[in-house]
Amino acid sequence: MADVKPMTGRERVLAALKREPVDRTPICNPTSVATVELMDLVDAPFPAANREPELMARLAATGYTELGFDSIMPVFSIIQESSALGCKIQWEQKDNWPTVRMREPIWETAEDIKIPSDFLTHPDTKCVLDAIRILKKEYGDEVAIVGKTMGPWSLAYHGMGVEPFLLLSLDDPDATKAVLDALKKATIDFGVAQLEAGADAVTLPDHATGDLVSGEYYERYLKDMHTEFVDQIPIPIILHICGRTVDRMGFIAETGMAAFHYDSKNEPPESMDIVRDKISLIGNINNPQTLYSKGPEAVRAEVYKNLDAGVNLVGPECAIPLQTSIANLKEIPKAVRDWHAEHTN
Amino acid sequence: MAELSDVVNETIQYEIEEFIERPDELERNITLFAKVRPSMQDIAAALIEGDNDSVDVLTKQALDEGIEAVEIMDDGLIAGMGIVGIKFRENFIFVPEVLACARAMKAGMAYIEPILSASGVEKAGTVIMGTVKGDLHDIGKNLCIMMLRGSGFEVHDLGVDTSEDEFIDAIEEHGAPVIGMSALLTTTMPNMGKIIEALIDADLRDDVQIMVGGAPVTQEFADDMGADGYGKDALACVSLAKDLIAAAAR
Repeated sequence: MADVKPMTGRERVLAALKREPVDRTPICNPTSVATVELMDLVDAPFPAANREPELMARLAATGYTELGFDSIMPVFSIIQESSALGCKIQWEQKDNWPTVRMREPIWETAEDIKIPSDFLTHPDTKCVLDAIRILKKEYGDEVAIVGKTMGPWSLAYHGMGVEPFLLLSLDDPDATKAVLDALKKATIDFGVAQLEAGADAVTLPDHATGDLVSGEYYERYLKDMHTEFVDQIPIPIILHICGRTVDRMGFIAETGMAAFHYDSKNEPPESMDIVRDKISLIGNINNPQTLYSKGPEAVRAEVYKNLDAGVNLVGPECAIPLQTSIANLKEIPKAVRDWHAEHTN
Repeated sequence: MAELSDVVNETIQYEIEEFIERPDELERNITLFAKVRPSMQDIAAALIEGDNDSVDVLTKQALDEGIEAVEIMDDGLIAGMGIVGIKFRENFIFVPEVLACARAMKAGMAYIEPILSASGVEKAGTVIMGTVKGDLHDIGKNLCIMMLRGSGFEVHDLGVDTSEDEFIDAIEEHGAPVIGMSALLTTTMPNMGKIIEALIDADLRDDVQIMVGGAPVTQEFADDMGADGYGKDALACVSLAKDLIAAAAR
């Protein structure tokens, strides 16, 4: 890495997503790093920061301006497009995340699913697009702007309820595939719109996690669709799936996506052995036990563990708890720089 | 000692042989299924296969034949769920399969529960369960509740998105010695600690034993939050609730 010329954060992230040489490992957040402390710092609190583009952009920018990450990710929650699709949203207060009311499903079958004509102009999707435009204008040369478009598996949880959808997946595979097919237009349209608004990459959360379903499920229901997204959304895609995923990382690595954002339930060396050279890994600093509950030393140890394993981009495993301390988050870039200083000839 | 060949139902034989590896669990299940009636083995086998229609028919048939509701619940439904729990813990099956088995158990319990309620059988204890504030996920919690009720507990389900005040009100109303909190999101897990702090502030912490669970929750996190116990899955939840009820009684 010593002979690579100094890079901007944006160049660093985009190179690492292509597994090209970098001047140092980028610090990347494919999911939210918003905290209550940061909301107070820039006067951009939840829930308004999920609904007003100026506030969304202002809060998201703190990931770069305050924490020193190489990326900015303005989509803090997983509800923007579900709101536009008609799901009921619980917007919550400053110290809680907005959530989809999955106990009040809006679809029972694929036939019920209609992508509304105003899907991309609905206030909650438009907010994301406008926030990306603001961020691109202000920080686009320095730092990677990462958007987010939810995958059809996650959207199905939101619109049908987790339990009914998982039972459908067992009872009727054809009907399940029809649901996923009906929803993929939402994923593609929102992803492409974010590319056009100025995003450098998009995170694609699709929660077929090992805590819920098998690796075989991923291959059966999602692998081909995720492969299709690589062509349909022509921008680096970062797949995000929480929980245990080593049993499906081999399939994920074959989709052609740029990166996989992985959880701390998976060991960095084992994960790298599975995906090496086929897809970049981003992660996997533990949220609840480390970033939220422990101090900078524990954060540093996890950063080093990822760097020692050769993980391509370092960051929290998922959206961080809103009460996470800024000191712990700032330790991530500090530890990355220290590790590189120790490993430079 | 009973042998696997003493278990007459071929599905149960296969399930034990194929999926149970721990010697103590192997012995316990062989001993259990070797002594229960073939019709109870049939109910357990149908439940393990997630066949709710068959469980419905077989449960009703067993009751019509005069078999006690408690026996059907213990030797058929709960015995079957025991194997389901082991397969889930060992990642042989995942949540969709467990949900199908739970649906089958519900089909059987629809006949059993009214009979047990009317009979006034003494409860194993009272437990309050809820998913924490900000979290609307309840599959894991509901599986725990189903297993707790099936094991003789009286359970008050506070649902999802449960605030500190709702837990406090429920403890005061029901006088339950055990509460269970669930969270699926790493972003909402810290709310478990907030609820425990609220119980301390309300001077109720010493009155209740607290168990926590959920996919991202670990024993270490439970300890950090100040909980009394952590259950990895629904089976562990039942065992933990029994231990905590006993601890509360001491």
